[in-house]
Amino acid sequence: MGFRRVSIMKLATVALVVVVTPVLTSCDALSSTQNTFNPSGDVAQTQLNLFIMVLIPAIIILIGVFLAIGYIMVRYRRREGDPIPPQIHGNNRLEIGWTIAPTILLLAIAVPTVAAIFDLGGDFEEDDLRVKVVAFQWDWRFEYLDPEYADEDGNPLATQDLYIPIDRYVGADLEALDVIHSFWIPKLAGKQDVMPSRDNTLRFNATEPGVFQGQCAEFCGISHSFMRFTTTALEPAQFDECLAAIAENGEDPVPEVCVP
Amino acid sequence: MAGLAIEQPAPTLGQAIRRIREEGATYQGLWSWLTTIDHKRIGMLYGATAMFFFLVGGIEALILRLQLARPEQTLVDPDQFNRLFTMHGTTMIFLVVMPLSNAFFNLLIPLMIGARDVAFPRLNAFSYWTFLFGGLFMMASFFTGNPAGSFIEGHLGAPDGGWFGYAPLTRGEFSAGTGIDYWAFGLLILGVASMAGGFNFAVTIINMRAPGLTLFRMPVFVWMTLVTSFLIIFAMPIITVALFQILFDRIFAANFFNVAAGGTPLLWQHMFWLFGHPEVYILILPAMGIVSEILPTFSRKPLFGYPFVVFSGIAIAFMSWGVWAHHMYTTGLGSVANAAFGVSTILIAVPTGIKIFNWLGTMWGGSISLKTPLLFAVGFIAMFTIGGLTGVMHSVVPSDYQQQDTYFVVAHFHQVLVGGALFGLFGGIYYWFPKFTGKLMNEPLGQLHFWGMFIGFNLTFQPMMILGLMGMIRRTATYEDGLGYGLWNMMSTVGAFVIAASVLVFLINVVVSMRSREEAGADPWDGRTLEWGIPSPPPAYNFATIPEVNALDPVWHEKYVEKEAGETVPAMAGGADLHAAEGETPHLPSPSIIPLIASIGPALIAAGFIYIDNPWVMPLIPIGAVITMVGLIAWALEPATE
Repeated sequence: MGFRRVSIMKLATVALVVVVTPVLTSCDALSSTQNTFNPSGDVAQTQLNLFIMVLIPAIIILIGVFLAIGYIMVRYRRREGDPIPPQIHGNNRLEIGWTIAPTILLLAIAVPTVAAIFDLGGDFEEDDLRVKVVAFQWDWRFEYLDPEYADEDGNPLATQDLYIPIDRYVGADLEALDVIHSFWIPKLAGKQDVMPSRDNTLRFNATEPGVFQGQCAEFCGISHSFMRFTTTALEPAQFDECLAAIAENGEDPVPEVCVP
Repeated sequence: MAGLAIEQPAPTLGQAIRRIREEGATYQGLWSWLTTIDHKRIGMLYGATAMFFFLVGGIEALILRLQLARPEQTLVDPDQFNRLFTMHGTTMIFLVVMPLSNAFFNLLIPLMIGARDVAFPRLNAFSYWTFLFGGLFMMASFFTGNPAGSFIEGHLGAPDGGWFGYAPLTRGEFSAGTGIDYWAFGLLILGVASMAGGFNFAVTIINMRAPGLTLFRMPVFVWMTLVTSFLIIFAMPIITVALFQILFDRIFAANFFNVAAGGTPLLWQHMFWLFGHPEVYILILPAMGIVSEILPTFSRKPLFGYPFVVFSGIAIAFMSWGVWAHHMYTTGLGSVANAAFGVSTILIAVPTGIKIFNWLGTMWGGSISLKTPLLFAVGFIAMFTIGGLTGVMHSVVPSDYQQQDTYFVVAHFHQVLVGGALFGLFGGIYYWFPKFTGKLMNEPLGQLHFWGMFIGFNLTFQPMMILGLMGMIRRTATYEDGLGYGLWNMMSTVGAFVIAASVLVFLINVVVSMRSREEAGADPWDGRTLEWGIPSPPPAYNFATIPEVNALDPVWHEKYVEKEAGETVPAMAGGADLHAAEGETPHLPSPSIIPLIASIGPALIAAGFIYIDNPWVMPLIPIGAVITMVGLIAWALEPATE
């Protein structure tokens, strides 16, 4: 192959992959209810912001490295009769430079990362909606622990899908009955594993009404693919009515007041 | 196999044994392969066997990709799917990349350090046979794995707990049948092979270097092998303990991971990943070493920043022990632990970056020949850059809460293991094929293989990054329609078949090249390191005279001198001739069947334990133990040479 065809093929493949796909993505992304690119909750938004913060320098570095490779392949390609090039062994200044610069960049990334870890990992607050998420092979149960949603005997209301009010944090206790599962609502928050013998928790909210897909994200056996649930976020008043309707008539069919 | 030093025609078996014991001669034929302790032959055995398992793992991948090409398909049911992805991962890591790396260790280390063989040749053979029997043992699980449903009934019996086998899912009450037992015992057997190899190469490199070959005159590939060997030595025991624990839970009703009895599932993850993270560096460092050998040769320039490339490899190995819990960010370890591991993981990108920059620096200002080995090496750099950057994305802990257990992770590790390790290993095959067979590989077919694999690879795995961020979980047998996953999955499946086609091209190339009549000669690439100073293929004894080494890249310095003006010109003829073969043939250790015999035992013992309730199979435990004992005692009593 001529050298021009070699480097053009390379650049073309790179272009196809790196440049075109994000363009194609944006059409699909927004409509899906399981997508991390279009958050409907503050936690997912924070996580996406961090991701973009890393993605941009990553793309710049990637393009830089690929351009360097492309340039090298063209400029320094061996031609017939070329002499042996100068036998350069290294350059200490460059070495120090390209050790220190990435370290600084990475530490810069580390700072907001650590801040967000502690921010998202905080304790529950007074007015969080308390929910117990129970995961088992291969379905979910959600129990509303606040006494206002309990029945006459004090038993918490239990549902198969999750209902939450918007603009109010949910403090979820995660309980596994058998193996490890993982509680994940991509549009609202990153996941947390549901581990037997551990008291894991997840604190998250929804900032707009809607029905969001959730799925078990830790391989848990034969029906792992089907261990799904939905999270319906409602206006606060509507949320109370919804739980009351479910307490009265159950979830099957879903009461009209529970549709956002 | 044509091309290896053969001195006499094949005699009868009795004559052969007598001649082998009397003269240490090697012969053609099956027996010579079963008894070989020659590192070059063992390297070829490792390579060929790894290639076989690569095809098996590849077919498993193609089935998985066919199933996932469209939403809600039922080509394979979830039970079969779970077994296939478990075996795909386990096969590719333990039966392909590690043994293929080991093939290179075997073929190259003695040659690159000016030695005649490794420190423990029979242990070397034992490593290979143990690996082979361990791999076959694992494969057997497809057919014998689950008494409740065997292959004949259309139900695979292979393990189905994932390659990472998380407890308590892998405990008996959640994983009935014997699949997981095959997995755990198989890994224990393979671990023995790896440990033996780790010790062997560490000792060889430390003790058996030619005079003048100081540590900082060693080729980078030798350094990476040394570092990898130490990683193996320290990492394997950890998973060995974990595997014993799950096996005790399963077979002897222990409670290590039984929550009801106070056990801790998280313990499995800590132990697995404390092994598992160094393991991924075990997988990548040899390929990085290969790239560090290919680039200087094909750029006609020394490796840029040799000490920095070496130190960054050592740094990666040390740091790899401090990052394991980045596989566990979502398990609820707490903010402090997550922050600590987040920072350590972010920083491990630094030594990797140093290597990438030094590789670019090697090529900069060089005279670059765009042959297949170089294409794979440059492909490695490009793909590993993407892989490394996505690794940094994972290390940002809160973002990882979204990315963990999705196809974004699948994209990342295939990027580094296929785009990285596999590309490097293929580059090495094209590079050193002429040295060990005396024939160059066909160049146009090589180019076709590379481009096919490069395009296929990107088509398969870049869509997975998007799928992951769009919320597609991993280890899933299917996905719902209407989530927008279909297009990307279909692209990925098409890409997988493009990769398969390119592998076919490679296999054709191997056959075509072996039959070629053109001799490659000792030094077809104008190489720099010691292996290019001896004939292709090398004689059984490697070096007629052990060379005395005065510099890094000794063969280059035999061929060329640098004038004061900086110009490099061919040296005058008459330097030390490594081809010289006058005088007596050097004395080599004798071939032996005992390593093979000793390696049969572990697989039999494992089979006996799996079917411990079966009175016909259980006796394999004492039988296997006796065979191993007899083998080891015979090994100790057998003289190394006669």
